[in-house]
Amino acid sequence: MILDHFDPPGEVSDLNDAARKEWNNFISAAVDTAIVGRADHANDSPRAQYYNLTKTDTATDAKFQEVSWIAFPRVVKLNSVSDQQRWRRAESSRDVQDEYCEWSVTRRADGKIMRATFTCEGPEYWELLARTQPDTLLDLYREFIDPTVQRDDLFDASGTYIPRNKWNSTTTNGAMHLIQDANTLSAEIELSAAASIVRVHNGRQLTGEQELIECAQYGVPQRNSDPHIGGVVNSVARLKADLALSNPVGLYFKGLSTAGWATPDGSDPQSYWKYIRGSAEHPVRAVYEVPDSKGFTVSDITIQGAPIMFAAQITDFISIKLTAVACRFGQSTASPMDCVGVPAGISAITATMLPTR
Amino acid sequence: MTRSEDIVRDWFRIGPRRRATAWSEHAVVTLAENIDLEMLKPRTLYRFVMGADSDFSIMSSSEIAQLADPMGALLGQGKFPLTAGALLSELDAAGMVPRQSSFMISEAGQISPDRASSLHRDVRFAIVRGKSSDADLAISTGAVGDPAAVFLQVAGWDDRAGLFNYYMRVSGTWVWAGNSYHALASPSRGYGCFDSHVNGSLVMKELKQPWLNWQSMNATIQLADDDPLRQNPLYQSLSGAEELENIVRAGISRWTRARLKHAVTTDREIPNSDWLLRQLCTTTTVNLASTIVASSTAATAPSATLLLPLGFWFNADVLVNPPLNIPVDSAVPSVTGKLYADSLARYDFALVQDDFRQPGDAFFAFVVPEAAFEDIDVIRQMVTTGILTAHFAASVLMVDFPNPVFSPARATLFQYMPTAATLDPAAGGLSQQIAAVISKAADGHPADSPEAEFKANWELAESEWQNVFASRIESYLAAVTERISSVAGFDDYVRLAESRRREFKRMRLNEFALTLPVTNIPLDAPLLQMRPDGTIQEKLVLATQPEESAPQ
Repeated sequence: MILDHFDPPGEVSDLNDAARKEWNNFISAAVDTAIVGRADHANDSPRAQYYNLTKTDTATDAKFQEVSWIAFPRVVKLNSVSDQQRWRRAESSRDVQDEYCEWSVTRRADGKIMRATFTCEGPEYWELLARTQPDTLLDLYREFIDPTVQRDDLFDASGTYIPRNKWNSTTTNGAMHLIQDANTLSAEIELSAAASIVRVHNGRQLTGEQELIECAQYGVPQRNSDPHIGGVVNSVARLKADLALSNPVGLYFKGLSTAGWATPDGSDPQSYWKYIRGSAEHPVRAVYEVPDSKGFTVSDITIQGAPIMFAAQITDFISIKLTAVACRFGQSTASPMDCVGVPAGISAITATMLPTR
Repeated sequence: MTRSEDIVRDWFRIGPRRRATAWSEHAVVTLAENIDLEMLKPRTLYRFVMGADSDFSIMSSSEIAQLADPMGALLGQGKFPLTAGALLSELDAAGMVPRQSSFMISEAGQISPDRASSLHRDVRFAIVRGKSSDADLAISTGAVGDPAAVFLQVAGWDDRAGLFNYYMRVSGTWVWAGNSYHALASPSRGYGCFDSHVNGSLVMKELKQPWLNWQSMNATIQLADDDPLRQNPLYQSLSGAEELENIVRAGISRWTRARLKHAVTTDREIPNSDWLLRQLCTTTTVNLASTIVASSTAATAPSATLLLPLGFWFNADVLVNPPLNIPVDSAVPSVTGKLYADSLARYDFALVQDDFRQPGDAFFAFVVPEAAFEDIDVIRQMVTTGILTAHFAASVLMVDFPNPVFSPARATLFQYMPTAATLDPAAGGLSQQIAAVISKAADGHPADSPEAEFKANWELAESEWQNVFASRIESYLAAVTERISSVAGFDDYVRLAESRRREFKRMRLNEFALTLPVTNIPLDAPLLQMRPDGTIQEKLVLATQPEESAPQ
């Protein structure tokens, strides 16, 4: 079956018909570009096993493959000595929140957390919304961030949307959508397409997530997400299947584990985790908040005995996911390729392992 | 010799490749040699706590009623599922512990099936069920082979008693193998399933990222294209080890919390206080840590910088985090890819199982034993519940702190820990009582003795001990950072790591040949230890034998 159109991330209903078509066109074009690959690089074009769901049939043997990872930024964890240090660092700037999950925290005067809001919505959708339905965008900011948001807060004098506006640039004043440089849907599409090429180097088929990202030069090796997305996609490609990111293309919350959490009144800590945007299967916005009637705050909840003093502690337990679809297993005739450009590069690995201090 | 002793004796004859996972099969063999196979009746729950019981015995209905965990409840209803699939179906049918996650591990998981088709791959599932995110039931079973023949073990959380019950399927029926307290007490400590569940809780050796050997967000276990495992519903719904880590940590903490609650009587007495304090002074068990970089990647990037596991250098998890909060601010020691690659060649690193040999390190580089979370959690909770002060715990842990595991010096202090204690605030509490005993003993020992080192730590003012300890650790890490960039310096640390791996291999937790690499360093080479100046030396043999959790 050929997909009629790409839906907006999370199957949200903000867009009018014209904007929905524009979104479909944007994703379709991004996929087509990714399929072509980087012709200016050796061994990276075409990505013959990657396909456009709206142009190529998804066969009846189709299987879905979920890929998930932890939202806490790996680079921060790697370079920190203590938990307090890593939580504080992860919460210091949206620019270090690079696992396709960014967050903002609302605290009481005494520092206790009242509410933590998490988003995994890529910026591209919001840029399209700003261009096609600016009033809707303003309404959404007022609904999800603050009723006092003004149009001038979000758009510059020329009417251009400011993704890093005052309501979406910090860890304390709101998080409407992803803004960290590597947290884009385009990146997700490109790396999954690049990972669909089976790699053989020095006569050996590559299978490890790190050697694959080094060899194919997709994504950011330092993250939890990109090497894993590429590794899983490639493992499907090695089954000689065609594959794509499933509709709606996007990044989603897989869930929150509350293993080891305890509330002051014995209530279920899971009950304070709510999805507030996106469909049930594809949630794109979540909040962790205790109702006022409970008489305690998020910071009165403990994780293995330690009170929640940073929303970053919660991200240790949040999983982000995407879903790929694969079909025509065993039928692909695409030839494996050697590594992109020169043999296994060193630069990226160096960055992976270097301390940042 | 009793039949039980036969089984215990034969158990430890099983080769190092696998032990716990071979238990049921081996038990059948042993029974076949010594006991009429018909002895174990189907659909009957037996008790056999290895080390404590001399025979299998049928559990009475009143005894079964005491097993208030999901598995015990199922067996109490007359349900005797004999495969993992049947067990899960029975739990579903009973509406019990509905949340399920499955995980997979194989020590051969990153060795291509094409290259070693005959390798024992020991692929296992860990399946967790719960009412919520916590593990109320944990199932461990072989993923390959006849489900009715592969090993099948279950740990069930009994919230009423505050303990885990352990079960094994043996010879077509179920055996209750003991509970968490059997792990702590002689004569069952260290025997049977408690050789790996050393302190009575859930076990995940490779607890931290990158979760060596587990299917995770850092590594996908390799299967042949036509491996039937791909059709297994448990495989198709696998979660990554990153999720299991949180579940296991929570399970361990739950047991520790329950255990401490019961450890202190209403008269504020702690019978068996040594059961707790040995987890402060000795290495009752370990976790395995590694870098997050694949060995093959690190070894082919000569100028790359490889961050080595912090737990190799000192017990960071307990010292720098609450409640001890020692404010260390140092960079993680690292080494170049070239020095790492050279060490692999110099010491002929390889993964070896039977006739299989693959040159190189484990899949992730530089695997070492580090302080176990289950020891750390007991220490933390003893402090947060007021059994010990943070200063006392830190004063013990800072004795020989560059050796976070297998420290004879810290183990020496265990002789001063009371087997029973009273939390007597008037006498300064348990910390003061023990400190007084050690400090008194220190007067008869050299200035560099563990006793004297403890005494000096303990005598630091309340306002300064954290900063003094932080300064000590930072100086040590600075020395390490300077030495590790030289060939000789890193060579020392490679040999120290191998020494610690050899100590791990002597533990019963070492079940699989492919868990760790072998080297050309002789197995009987002198063991090594670290000094605070970042140099190493042969391990000192102290007069006092450290307490060991299990016979070797």
